Amino acid sequence: MNAIEIRNLTKNFGQKQALAGLNMTVPQGAIYGFIGENGSGKSTTEKLICGLLVPSGGEIKLFGKDYKDAGVREKIGVLIEQPGCFPNYSVWNNMMLQAANLEIPNAAEEVRKVLKVVHMEGSASNKYKNCSLGMKQRIGIAFALLGNPSLLILDEPINGLDADGMRIMRDVLVDVTKNYNCTVVISSHILGELEKIATHYGIVRGGKMIKEMTAEELEADCRTYVALQTKDMEKTQALLSRKYANVTLENDYIRIYDDVKAEEVVSYLYNELCILVTEVKTEKISLEEYYIDLMKEGR
Amino acid sequence: MNTFGKKSFLRKLKSMLTVDFKRMFTMPLIYIMAGVCFAMPILILVMTTMMGDAEEGAEAMGTFTNVWQAIGSVSGAGMSMDLTSMCNINMLYFLVAVLVCIFVADDFKSGYAKNLFTVRSKKVDYVCSKSLVCFVGATIMFVAYFIGAMIGGAIAGLPFTTEGFGAGGVIACMLSKIFMTAIFVSIALCLGTVAKQKLWLSILCSFAAGMLLFTMIPMISPLDSGFVNVVMCLAGGGLFAVGLGAVSNLILNKTSLV
Repeated sequence: MNAIEIRNLTKNFGQKQALAGLNMTVPQGAIYGFIGENGSGKSTTEKLICGLLVPSGGEIKLFGKDYKDAGVREKIGVLIEQPGCFPNYSVWNNMMLQAANLEIPNAAEEVRKVLKVVHMEGSASNKYKNCSLGMKQRIGIAFALLGNPSLLILDEPINGLDADGMRIMRDVLVDVTKNYNCTVVISSHILGELEKIATHYGIVRGGKMIKEMTAEELEADCRTYVALQTKDMEKTQALLSRKYANVTLENDYIRIYDDVKAEEVVSYLYNELCILVTEVKTEKISLEEYYIDLMKEGR
Repeated sequence: MNTFGKKSFLRKLKSMLTVDFKRMFTMPLIYIMAGVCFAMPILILVMTTMMGDAEEGAEAMGTFTNVWQAIGSVSGAGMSMDLTSMCNINMLYFLVAVLVCIFVADDFKSGYAKNLFTVRSKKVDYVCSKSLVCFVGATIMFVAYFIGAMIGGAIAGLPFTTEGFGAGGVIACMLSKIFMTAIFVSIALCLGTVAKQKLWLSILCSFAAGMLLFTMIPMISPLDSGFVNVVMCLAGGGLFAVGLGAVSNLILNKTSLV
């Protein structure tokens, strides 16, 4: 069974169409990286899943049931934009209110547990308004984790987090999916971080899903290339372009995307062109590069 | 394996009430409102008495000649534009609207509504809970005003004599007025759900709607009220609460919550 199944979802804000027949499938237990440019419809989709917006058309199913099903909705943890906290209340009181909303037995114990997970147990008595951006993000994650949710929806949860916060975040998400059968939908512009944990990806553009794939499919899709540096980069690039079809100069490296081994290139340059290679490596294009390429294709 | 159980309405309402009561009484708002309601009649009665020390002069100016005028007027007096009609307990209906609007707008402004409505697809428990909690808050404000009026009257040296009505009438009048707050609470709640985080809009619309009903209040809850007045106000309050509660529920279900 899929955790989320969305078919032909549309959402109009007056004359503006935010979602134009979006389809989305999130398998249970997945960490689903939801990627797209600003205004592509990520947050709108997430808000629709959470029932915070009313769809103009289409169907949303959560765990095989209608998204309005009260039983399913009680098991959603959410962090969209800012955590919904009262600024004049302490972190603890805010958490206890949400625990009461969720009717969590042993609320104090549960709140203590989730605050410990995000390393915020020492700041529980702080007023929410006095917390830093990073602390607020951690509180938001703790909020979302309250009550052992089956589905976590996190919109830009890494924003404002320091390196330690990002590591905690990664560990928590991997832990909840592995040990608690939780499904995570996470949208972020920090693709490097997303790449470390996501098992599935959905790329959205102009309110439509343009690609959905697993991490393995992405891995297969991401081309390998040989990157090298010489003393005269432009001349080398020109000479290599005569032999190889896909040669580019990117980020201070000459990249050869053809199916070729690094040793072959080095040997060719040295033996036949008398060019000494100062640095050579074989790499795969990252999610970020893959995403940028995909976006360029559509333009 | 994920299991999704459904909870009964009463169980949900109970948890919602726990949260809302906790919120209401941990916020400074209710204490400020109760304080204002307590101080207001003291200031009004003492200051207006100072304005006209002679009883005849006071009457000519339309100021208070009796403590109970701060609570209401006898049947048939109607709504006049003098001080006793404008500056009595009926002003509190507008303060009740302010209380409800701030309480509701705070939910949407802070993002708390986002957390709440994600995990609660049915909005009826939210509407019921908010109505009940705000009604209790409004009752506290009315009681604070009543106590303030008694203290203010004593300080100002105004007579506590009852002419044309008895102690039972005063109690029935107070009960009627308290039950009538349910009407204003449900109006403000309904407008609060429409305006969401736009507090100014909900307050403005609540005041406008309140003005339409304001002139009816002295007629329905005079100082010589009886059982019929109490029942009428209770029924009216209940009907408005149910009717406008259903409208609020519909608005929350059919409109965007963020």
